[in-house]
Amino acid sequence: MREFHEYNPITVAAYYLCATAVTMFTMNPVVIGISLFASVINYILYAKNGIKPHLFSLVLFVIMAAVNPLINHNGMTVLFYLNDRPITAEAAIYGVTAAGMTVAALYWLRLFTKAMTSDKLLYLFGRLSPKISLILSMAIRYTELLRIRWRKISDAQKALGLYDDGNLIDALKGRARVLSILITWALENGIITAESMDARGYGTGRRTSFRLFRFRMRDGLITAICAAATAIAVIGLNGADVVWYPSIKTTLFEPVSIMGYVGFGVLSILPIIINTKEAIRWRYLSCAN
Amino acid sequence: MAVFELCELSFSYPNSAKKALEKVNITVDQGEFIALAGPTGSGKSTLLRLLKPELMQNGDQSGTILFCGNPIGDLPPRESAARIGYVAQSPEEQIVTDKVWHELAFTLENLGKKQQEIARRVAETAAFFGIAPWYRKHTSQLSGGQKQLLNLAAVMVSEPEALILDEPTAQLDPIEAARFFDTLYKLNRETGVTVIISEHRAEELLPLCDRMILLDHGTVVYDDAPRAIAQRMDKSSPYLPYLTAASRVFIHSGGAGECPLSVREGRKFFKSREIVSGNPHSPSATAPPGKEDCAALEMKDVFFRYHKDGADVLNGLNMTVNEGEIFAVLGANGCGKSTAAAIMTGVLKPYSGKVKLFGKALKEYKNGSLYRENLSCLPQDVESVFLHATVREELRGCEEIVNSLPFDLAPLYDRHPYDLSGGERQLVALCKALKSNPRLLILDEPSKGLDPNAKERLSELLRKLQSSGLTIILISHDIEFAASCADRCALFFDGGIAACESTSDFMCGNRCYTTAASRMTRGILRNVYTVDAAAAMIGGDRS
Repeated sequence: MREFHEYNPITVAAYYLCATAVTMFTMNPVVIGISLFASVINYILYAKNGIKPHLFSLVLFVIMAAVNPLINHNGMTVLFYLNDRPITAEAAIYGVTAAGMTVAALYWLRLFTKAMTSDKLLYLFGRLSPKISLILSMAIRYTELLRIRWRKISDAQKALGLYDDGNLIDALKGRARVLSILITWALENGIITAESMDARGYGTGRRTSFRLFRFRMRDGLITAICAAATAIAVIGLNGADVVWYPSIKTTLFEPVSIMGYVGFGVLSILPIIINTKEAIRWRYLSCAN
Repeated sequence: MAVFELCELSFSYPNSAKKALEKVNITVDQGEFIALAGPTGSGKSTLLRLLKPELMQNGDQSGTILFCGNPIGDLPPRESAARIGYVAQSPEEQIVTDKVWHELAFTLENLGKKQQEIARRVAETAAFFGIAPWYRKHTSQLSGGQKQLLNLAAVMVSEPEALILDEPTAQLDPIEAARFFDTLYKLNRETGVTVIISEHRAEELLPLCDRMILLDHGTVVYDDAPRAIAQRMDKSSPYLPYLTAASRVFIHSGGAGECPLSVREGRKFFKSREIVSGNPHSPSATAPPGKEDCAALEMKDVFFRYHKDGADVLNGLNMTVNEGEIFAVLGANGCGKSTAAAIMTGVLKPYSGKVKLFGKALKEYKNGSLYRENLSCLPQDVESVFLHATVREELRGCEEIVNSLPFDLAPLYDRHPYDLSGGERQLVALCKALKSNPRLLILDEPSKGLDPNAKERLSELLRKLQSSGLTIILISHDIEFAASCADRCALFFDGGIAACESTSDFMCGNRCYTTAASRMTRGILRNVYTVDAAAAMIGGDRS
């Protein structure tokens, strides 16, 4: 079953960037409502991380929603007084909207980091420049190598009795020694890596960059749908506006804005649509076999 | 047609009066499989590097090197990269990228090949080398043997005509090495690639190769088929250790008839001969030097795992090392030997079980007293011990130990520890380990990457240290080395000790995990596990 996240990294990255951008550049309560709802559902279906991240988001949401009316006293509709300061309905609604926007954007970014693993990011950078892609790939390899090496050296020093954990100064001296050995080792062995690169023709001319991911028709199709939905949302939401203070006045439900909501709605549940379609197809396939 | 033609080739390094290579004449034909042997410093690496233009070093060169009929220097860079493959010793540092598939594609990317072509070559190569199951893995997750196979595969993607390998299996265990040689042999037979390999593992390599070139002091001493070379050597030849056990027995016994190479041929040879003398290694003849009642190290029901939910790496390990003996722990890579060593030295703590050193639990040694005058451990990669820029600084405070050694380290004093040969490094590191005046010394793979002479010297040195009262635990996968110096051997398997006996009982009791001499004489001679003993028992032709 080819789920949404198995599409080409360009498609996946473009999708999340669009969804995040539309969410972040608007204060439209309807859009933020849709965005928050869809991003939470997407996250639950994809990440399966348990309850913890949601608790964190909830706390964040409550705090942010509460802070605005406490420090912002604009607005005509006074709900009650706190320490002789008015708490207004306008400021409260604004706070809830802003908090919803932040939390929704957070969910979209979480989904992005979850979906874009290191090899997918490398692929994206590789499309930009084969050199950057190689450097990143080597950097990832070297950090891992140095980590393992650090461990080996400090164990070796310890077992030779050269690494004294007795007090802070000695422990720091021990660390410095391990670091110094590690650097010598890295420089010495870097020569071997450099020779290995030379021997295999590095620097003999223009490089190409081999990719495991292919950009297929359907990747193009989904990217196009994603772009179209974003365009409709942006155009449609252009006219939809909210004046918050002194009292809330909206132009949220013009026909053109409703078109914008539909566009954004399609965008935000696109992964769910694709996954459901695939699940149904899979079911029919397994019935047929 | 000749792939390489070396004519009167001489080479010397800058600031060095000695010539690294002197008047070398070698012709390498298409499709040959050539083993390059010789002691450390004989010029093997220098010669191999001269055959790969990217790796040529500065120095004075005279004579000519032709590659496929043209001077090797005239080869355009891209062609030289693609047509001459080179694999070095270290599995780890040769790998450039983080993913297996990317490493395979690296050469072709450098050569500017198109996506389609890279995909095809990479797929072909991965299938040939059996890499497909780990194609998408991180390179740091592979075992040493897999890493070296990947290095070989990554070179083969550009379809080179010649493959040059500089001690590729020095860092691998015997099983991984055998797999590497098998793959190399298959490559040579099935694709016709010319192979030139320098290696100390004569036993596995010589039966596979067409020709052996023996270098010493920069000159070619022998250049012929291994069998023919063995037939020309006599008992006093200094190059005997570069031959297989079967050939050595043949030479020791007088050298009549055809020389055997492999263990199989060796068995045939033994069957055709009369057995003269009695039994040199009768088990009761020599009592082991260790004092049975004094345990230097005792491990009782030791369990260890790295993660809470992981599998046990040590699974109820029981082991007793007597004071004053050399105890060898043998086993394949990844069986838990090194973990056991880390537990012995207190670097890792078992979750259950007891570890006692000289009758006292490890944790009762307070404030680092464990590592002063009690226990010292030399890790597998001895580089991790070196701190300074010269050997002199490295050995400061160890003068007494250095003076008591049977060799002179003085010529090495002004060199950087990383510039020493494997054997010399091992010696310097050993001096450092002895500085704290330990009663128990733990050595992790001390014979790794050493040439036969260096191994012999190390084995003598360990014997000498033992006679001065030191207890030594040897952790190794080098069976021949353990046979040459250990008093008792233990086979480590599945997180515990599967067998633990005196060296002669161990070597003669095991069927395949034992020395070549023992495998050759099994069922023919009793209790024989060294070449010398086997040769001494052989008489004339039976017919």
